[in-house]
Amino acid sequence: MTHLPLWFIPLFPLIGTILLGTIAVVSSGAKKGPSEGLVGTLAVLFPALSFAVVAILACSMPEAGFRETLCNWIDIPLFRADIGFLFDGLSRIMLLFVTGIGSLIAMYSIGYMHGDRGFARFFAYINLFLFSMVVLVLADSLLLTFLGWEGVGLCSYLLIGFWNQDIKNCKAANKAFIVNRVGDIGFLLGMLTLVTIGGSSLLNYDGLAAFINMVIGAGEVVELVLPLSLAGLLFFIGCTGKSAQIPLLTWLPDAMAGPTPVSALIHAATMVTSGVYLLARLSMMFCLLEHVLLIIVFVGMFTALWAAIAGLLQNDIKKVLAYSTISQLGYMFMAAGVCAFDASIFHVFTHAFFKAALFLGAGAVIHSLAGEQDMRRMGGLINKTPVTACVMIFAFLAIVGFPGFAGFWSKDLILERIFVSGPILGPIVYVVGLATAVITAVYMGRLIIMTFFGKYRGDKETEEHIHEAPAVMLFPMVILAFGAIFSGYLWADSIGLTFFRDSMASVVGQAQALYLAANPAAHVNPVIFAALGTLAALGGMYIAWKVFSRARIIGVKGASTVPEGSAASWTFLWDYIHCAFIAVVNILAWFCDVVVEKVLQAIQWTIAAIVEILGDGASILQVRKVRLQLSFSVAGVALLVMLVIFSGGLV
Amino acid sequence: MLLNLLVIAPFVAAILMVLNSKEDSSASSRMAILMGVAFAAMSVALIVTGNQATTPVEWFHIPGTRGPVYYYLYAHGLGAWMVFLSCGLSLVALISARSITGKSYRNFAIGIFALMGAMNGTFLAADAVLFFFFFEAMVIPAAILIAAFGGEKRTTAAMTFAIYTLVGSAPMMVALWYLLTIADNSLLLSMAVAIQSLPADTQTLVMLSFLLAFLVKTPIFPFHGWQAITYAEAPAPLSAILTGAMSKAGVFGFIAWVLPIFPLNLNYISGLMWLGLGTAIYGALMALRATDGKRLLAYSSMSHLGFAVAGVFSLSEAMLPAVLVLLVAHGISAGVQYFLMGVAERMTGTRNINEMGGLSSKNPVFSFLFGAAGVMALAVPGTAGFVGEFTVLLSLWDLGPLPALVGGFCLILSATYVLRFIQKVLFGKPAREYQEGTRTTALEGVAFGSMLALLLAFGLHPAFVTNSLHLFDEGITEELTTEVVEEVTEPAEQPMTAEELRELDSTLAASGFTEEERKALLAQIQSETLAVDSAVAASEAAEDSVEAQGAAEEQAAAVGTDSSAAGAEPPAVETEKTEASENE
Amino acid sequence: MELQPLYIQILALVIFAIGIIVAVARRNLFFVLMGVELALNAVNLSFVGFAKTLPAEASVTGQIVPLFSIAVAAAEACVGFAMVIMIFRNKESVDADSYSDMKG
Repeated sequence: MTHLPLWFIPLFPLIGTILLGTIAVVSSGAKKGPSEGLVGTLAVLFPALSFAVVAILACSMPEAGFRETLCNWIDIPLFRADIGFLFDGLSRIMLLFVTGIGSLIAMYSIGYMHGDRGFARFFAYINLFLFSMVVLVLADSLLLTFLGWEGVGLCSYLLIGFWNQDIKNCKAANKAFIVNRVGDIGFLLGMLTLVTIGGSSLLNYDGLAAFINMVIGAGEVVELVLPLSLAGLLFFIGCTGKSAQIPLLTWLPDAMAGPTPVSALIHAATMVTSGVYLLARLSMMFCLLEHVLLIIVFVGMFTALWAAIAGLLQNDIKKVLAYSTISQLGYMFMAAGVCAFDASIFHVFTHAFFKAALFLGAGAVIHSLAGEQDMRRMGGLINKTPVTACVMIFAFLAIVGFPGFAGFWSKDLILERIFVSGPILGPIVYVVGLATAVITAVYMGRLIIMTFFGKYRGDKETEEHIHEAPAVMLFPMVILAFGAIFSGYLWADSIGLTFFRDSMASVVGQAQALYLAANPAAHVNPVIFAALGTLAALGGMYIAWKVFSRARIIGVKGASTVPEGSAASWTFLWDYIHCAFIAVVNILAWFCDVVVEKVLQAIQWTIAAIVEILGDGASILQVRKVRLQLSFSVAGVALLVMLVIFSGGLV
Repeated sequence: MLLNLLVIAPFVAAILMVLNSKEDSSASSRMAILMGVAFAAMSVALIVTGNQATTPVEWFHIPGTRGPVYYYLYAHGLGAWMVFLSCGLSLVALISARSITGKSYRNFAIGIFALMGAMNGTFLAADAVLFFFFFEAMVIPAAILIAAFGGEKRTTAAMTFAIYTLVGSAPMMVALWYLLTIADNSLLLSMAVAIQSLPADTQTLVMLSFLLAFLVKTPIFPFHGWQAITYAEAPAPLSAILTGAMSKAGVFGFIAWVLPIFPLNLNYISGLMWLGLGTAIYGALMALRATDGKRLLAYSSMSHLGFAVAGVFSLSEAMLPAVLVLLVAHGISAGVQYFLMGVAERMTGTRNINEMGGLSSKNPVFSFLFGAAGVMALAVPGTAGFVGEFTVLLSLWDLGPLPALVGGFCLILSATYVLRFIQKVLFGKPAREYQEGTRTTALEGVAFGSMLALLLAFGLHPAFVTNSLHLFDEGITEELTTEVVEEVTEPAEQPMTAEELRELDSTLAASGFTEEERKALLAQIQSETLAVDSAVAASEAAEDSVEAQGAAEEQAAAVGTDSSAAGAEPPAVETEKTEASENE
Repeated sequence: MELQPLYIQILALVIFAIGIIVAVARRNLFFVLMGVELALNAVNLSFVGFAKTLPAEASVTGQIVPLFSIAVAAAEACVGFAMVIMIFRNKESVDADSYSDMKG
């Protein structure tokens, strides 16, 4: 069967990167930047082309998916890896929204980045990011996924530190990269574990599934659970880094230092969900590892709860959304932890729409207020920027799980799956999840109320300049808002729509069936969950309305948006823990530099000094009188001759 | 022919450079760069044409030794790539030095060519004495160049460098001479055989003398005292060559001379592996605190080379290609980082990274190159560094999770210091006012850009590098071994006798192998002894007229054939290890 | 009476001793050099004396060697005097004891 080659998908963003990168470098010396129209067109064209290819392939995809091996990558004794692509139900969904939302956000950025000196550079990075993300999702082996995995981390670093004149942004970028690196090492070691278990063929997803099937068939699961658990745990560490879960989550709030479209694309919709993607990809392995799954559930649960509370304490509009992202990712991990991979990917999918819409809306607000990010100095914007407000309100309804909106379907699905997963554990996690949903509604309600309702609390001067964003920014927002409303109907269990589940079944179905066989689910009427979820959303919104619509919020000029007091100690809890590790490394480095190195240098120079002293000592034998020296040498020769003669000759 | 050209012609080129005018640096630079291009092209040709050897010519006879010293060069994958590094980096150094050295460019070029000839000789020598000759000869032009073109403390740096490295290899000279008094000649095989006849204590002593020379050259903690000051004070193009090519002589020595000659026992192997890892961590920690940009790079390359040495002594099956890729990647990326640091120093007039900053807005092309070089040094997948570090980690994982974990920690640290370095140099606002020096010239830009492109190419298709190890075809192996060995022994096919096997068995039992493992191993050795290529096996078997043929010896011989025959044959050590892990 | 080889050796020894004593005892550099020359010539004489003890064919070798060493001595004297003159120009003195700049 003929179809478009799969490598077309990453090819287009790659061409875009190279073209735009060349433009950026060449034009960097010129006084005036390159034409924004040309750069903008190129920047949207290539992701859009890539999206078109994905769409065409998605329509013609057979049940089993497409597989394609391009060429050999590494071939040495003990290890062999190919560059190959795999297009199946899972990567289809991921690719559709990665390239689709990517194109939309690229379009939005044309308006947002208008007039920036690094216009071309920005889009080169965005294209490079899309390339890496496509590779991450499309790869057919862990090693190639790792290429994309570190590639997106690198682009995240580049884009967070995009405005690199400000050293604060650079520090945030460094933090993001280094914290991610810690996770990446987990990923790397996980791959090594797999190679040790069964050779390099295990790095291939199909190879891994075949291996697991073989193990199950041979009944050797028990012997292999321990090494596989180690691998699973290491991979999960990688996921916590990339998807900002406890304990590696501190970088995501800081990453808001980047331009807002970047936050929308990388730190909300696509990159941070790659951890969830990886878990779903390795579902065959994870469904055997009960202990690792337990860890995943708890990490997800705590992250969701902790980040939701932290979101309540923020004043910066983007930080609220950042913590909200972490919290939603926690939901996805909870789902993955009970082996409901299709539900977690479904939440990834709907979350991408509404969170991207929220971020883009926040970007439009920031844009209209000339860079103001403090919610205490906003308010009443619904009259001035109605479209933005509508988009954000729809997305808000989606994230809190208002009936009928996208978040409602996916979040309820997750909560339902959690509840039925086990007799004791299920309800506990379910209650925490439901509580988190209430808090979500509260902090999101707070955000909407503080931003769009009440009276404007900023300067008079800036108030006059408030304006609606240009059409090039509004168009993507509106489309995403539609996504936030309707994307949930791809899998609306209650009304019998299961398209999404069916398309995922070929990838994760077997794993989930295995898990269900081991842990049979109790049947509960889904209507109860829907009702409880709705109640949570409405309750949260009610609390938010009660508390924040009346509260007097003082807009302080020039105040820092950093939370203070106990809010700070909650927000920066994990930063403090990280600081302890950093301190250990710093002390070690100090010890090496100040103690060990100095001692070594001292030894080295002592030896040199001893040699010098000996040399000085030897030189006293050299006397100043030439004649005396001559007589010494004559006497010496005579002595030698006598010695030779009296000791019986030379030999 | 190619080999002779690569070793001798640089010296001729150095002499030719003398003919140039002292005043007109542009004429001499043109000539030097042309010759540099020719050498780089030759080194590529060497890689492409695969393994080759010259006919051995008797050179001279050291009093007290049994055999003559040969002028004998041979190239295998490892050496050829090292030669590529030395020629390529010298070429870029010649390009980059134009803006630094001013009128005395001619003298700089003379030094560089002499250094290049000596390095090529080191990597291509097949004779131990010849190797040692070039190994020492490298130091002299390098030290002179440092003393002539270096920074403020250049004389101290040159003296430290010269004395430290020469003293470090002095014990090796004595040990080499001692070995030659009992070996038939100074070629690898006969030395490997000769060492077997020595008592264990003497073996250890001789081995330690060899190790010291390479430990100092690499350098490995705690013998790194010369490194930071030398790399910091040397002119940046020279630092690039020193770290990119010359420091490889240490690792090369471990692979090409120490492993084949000496029957290392497991204590030494794991000790050296940990020493390498310790160096990796230590270098990374020091780089975290360094404020001098060139010192930072010096520690970073110490860290990488420590990692490479750890990889070497993991002795896994994947070791040779893994370490080779790592070395090539590090050679290019550390080289280009040094070149770029030289440009930064030239522009801002300081090496202190706290006094830099803001270069990205001032000079975007430079900062693009600098940032890309930094990122490639981070071992991001898709670059050669990743392939190297991943495969080395794989080799380390063979020994157990702990070494791999330490290696992973080292990767995290490397991300930290590289990002700190990039941030301090490129980002933020300039820390002070300064007169801006010469920017990146177009030629430099192209040279650095192509080095980065090479890193990408090797990262996406490492077969460019690793395949050169397969090229070692049987013909050359035979030629090499028979040609050299036939003067001393006549080959005789002779598998291990039952007696010897029993002895081996008891030795194995004593060193704690279980019943099944022993059986499997013995069966394997038996089949191997039969299967091994006649020339190699026979010459060894015949030369081992000494009866005692312990397990250690078999290992050494196997390792020896392996790395001289470059992976033609899995060494016994690894088979043991892989078996052990399989049994687990 | 035939010349006994031993006498020649004794003579050579005496001349050698005189040469050395002059070289060591005199402070004037020219005398020192002359002493050195004298010692050298004594050695030449000794060579010839030993050559006489050999049979005729082999004896030629012993007589040729002094010829070489005379040539060397001439060259050495040239260089030596040239150096002395150079030093004299700097020092304005031919006193050997005043030449003590070599010590570190």
